[in-house]
Amino acid sequence: MIAQSVLSWAAFGFYCAAAFAALGYLSSKDERASRAMLLLLQIGFALHAAGFAARLAAFWAFPENRFFLPLNTFYGALSYMALALAAAFLLIEAPHRLGILGAFVLPWAALALGAAVALASPEVEPLAPQLRSYWLNLHPMLLMTAYAVLANASGVAVALLIQERQIKSRKPTELCYRLPSLDELDSLNGRIVAWAFPVLVAGLVMGFVWSYIDWGSVWAAGAKLRLSVISVFLYGAFLWQHFARGRRGRGTMYLSLAGFASVLVTFFLAELFSGRHSYLGGAAR
Amino acid sequence: MKLLQLGWNHRASAAAAREALAAVPVERVLAELKARGANEIVAISTCNRFELYAASTTSDPPQSELLLAALCDLAGADVAPEAEAREDAAAVAHLFSVAAGLDSLVVGETEILGQVKTAYDAAKSAGLTGKRLNVLFQRALYVGKKVRTETAIASGSSSVPSVAVQLAESIFGRLEGKSALILGAGAMAELAAKHLVARGIGRLTVANRTWERAYALAARFSGEAVKWDSLPDALVQADVLVSSTGAPTAVVTRAMVEAALRRRGGRSLFLIDIAMPRDIEESVHQLDGVFLYRLEDLESIVAKSMASRAGQIAAARAIVEAKSAEFDAWARSLESGREISLRHAPRPEI
Repeated sequence: MIAQSVLSWAAFGFYCAAAFAALGYLSSKDERASRAMLLLLQIGFALHAAGFAARLAAFWAFPENRFFLPLNTFYGALSYMALALAAAFLLIEAPHRLGILGAFVLPWAALALGAAVALASPEVEPLAPQLRSYWLNLHPMLLMTAYAVLANASGVAVALLIQERQIKSRKPTELCYRLPSLDELDSLNGRIVAWAFPVLVAGLVMGFVWSYIDWGSVWAAGAKLRLSVISVFLYGAFLWQHFARGRRGRGTMYLSLAGFASVLVTFFLAELFSGRHSYLGGAAR
Repeated sequence: MKLLQLGWNHRASAAAAREALAAVPVERVLAELKARGANEIVAISTCNRFELYAASTTSDPPQSELLLAALCDLAGADVAPEAEAREDAAAVAHLFSVAAGLDSLVVGETEILGQVKTAYDAAKSAGLTGKRLNVLFQRALYVGKKVRTETAIASGSSSVPSVAVQLAESIFGRLEGKSALILGAGAMAELAAKHLVARGIGRLTVANRTWERAYALAARFSGEAVKWDSLPDALVQADVLVSSTGAPTAVVTRAMVEAALRRRGGRSLFLIDIAMPRDIEESVHQLDGVFLYRLEDLESIVAKSMASRAGQIAAARAIVEAKSAEFDAWARSLESGREISLRHAPRPEI
C-alpha cells in the first residue's frame, strides 16, 4: 500500500509539473518547455502505471478479488481515469506534435489523480459479494476509458474555441501561430469523440445488462443513468452535426463541451443522489 | 588560428558592389581562390550580402589583399573599398550573428540559416574546408538554431503576404489541398498569388473584369481563370480569397457570402481585402466560419511582430556572445596544442 501511495503521489507531482510546463509553453516561445512537458508526462505515466500495478497486486492479494479490476472505489476509479487520460494523450496528441494541447488536457489528469491521492482512501478491501462479477471489469472500465478519452476531446475543443477567437479578433497573438489550425483541431476533436462514443455507449449498455441481471431492472441506477443518457444524447448530437451535416467550428464545439460537462456532472455530482453507485463515493471504505 | 572575414552587406556597402559580387557564381569564386592558393574558404552569397571566410594556420595566415584582388577580378569591379574586414574573434562573432539572423535586413529571418548551410556545403564539397572552418560553420548553424528555438526572434511574420499566408495556415493547416481565388489582376494580386503558390496552395483561380488579364495572371502560376460572372460559384469552391480590384464599390457582398456558405458544407472561408476602396462588405466578418482581414489588419500584425522581435534581440545577442567566447577558447586551445572540448558541439569532421 505504501508503494502504491508513494508512486501515485510522485506521479501526481510529475503530472502537475507536465501541466505547468505545457502552460509555460503556451505563454512562451520556448520549445524546451514542450520537450520538458513530454518527458515529465512520460515519467509521471511510468510511475503511475507502476503504482496502479502495485494497487492491482494488493487488490488481488484477496482471493475473492482475483481477476477483477480495482475500480470499485473512488480512488481506484479516479486513478484509472487519470492513467487512461495520460495514455490517451501520449497516443493521440503527442505523435501528432500537438503537445501544446497538453495545456488544456493535462490539468485534467493532474486533477483526477490529485483528487484520488488527496481526498480518497487508497485502501483495498475484499469486494462486496454483488460486485464480484465480470461486469465490474467491463461496465466501469469502459465508461472510465471513454471519460478519459473524452477529456482529451474537451481539451481540443477548448483549444479550438481559443484559436477561433484569436483569428476572429483580427489581432492574433503568438498563441495563434503555436496552436494547431482550426481545421486540424476540428477534425481531431471529431475523430476522438467518434472513437470514444461507442465505448461510452457500450459501457452504459453493460450497466443496463448488469443491472437487469442483478436487480431485474435496467433503470435501477436512477439519477446517474438519466444523466448518462443526456451525455450520450449530447455527444450523439455532436457526431450527427459533425459527420452527417458537415458542421464545423464554434457551434459544434459547444455541443462537444456540453457533452463533457454532462459527463463530469454524471461522475461527480450524481454520487449525491444515486444509491446504487454510492460505493464509488467511499462507502466501501 | 587565423580567421579572416571579408564582407559586403546591406548596411555597409553600396548595392553596386554587392550586385557585382552576387553575379559571380559561388563555385567560380571558390575555384578561383583555390587556384590562387587559398586552402580554407567559405563564401556566402545572397541578395543582401557577400561574405568570405578564410582560415589557415598562424604560420601562413590568409592575406586580405590577395583575396580582395581575386574578388575584384572576379566581379570585374573595384569592390575592395566597400569591404568590411574582421579577424578571429570578431569574425566568429559576426558569423554567429549572421546565422542567428541578427545581421539581416529583417531581423530574425530564417532563410539566412539555409543560405549559410548551402555556402558551407558548397565549400566542403569543393574540398575547401579544414578542421577550423568545419567546426566554425557547424557551430554557426547550431547557434542559429539555438537562437531561434530559445528566443522569439523569428516569431511572427515580417511582411503582409507572409502574415496572410500564416493566418491561412492557422485556419486550414497545410494549404496543399486548398483553393485560392484571386480577384483582380494587378501587382498586389500577383504578389498574393506568388506567396500562396510558394506555400503549396492546391488550386489557384483568378477572376477579373477583363478576362484576358485574369487569363494572363492565371497562366503565370498554372492556375485557372474564371469569368467575372461566375464569381458566386467560385466563392463556393474557394478557401482563401484575396481581393484587390479597383472597383468603386464592394464586389463581394454579404448576401453573396451567405449564399455561398449554404453550399460550402461548413468549410471556413478566409477573405483578404487589400483593395482601396474596399472590395468586401465588412459585415461578412460577423458570419460564423468567415474571417475577413483588411490591409490595415495585416499591417498592424506585421508591425507588432517586428516590435516583439526587436525585444528579443538582446536575448539573442547574449547567446551569440556566449557561444562566440566558447568557440574562441576552443580556437586558442587548438593553437596551444591542448584542445579543449566544445560543449554540445557537433563532432568536427576532418
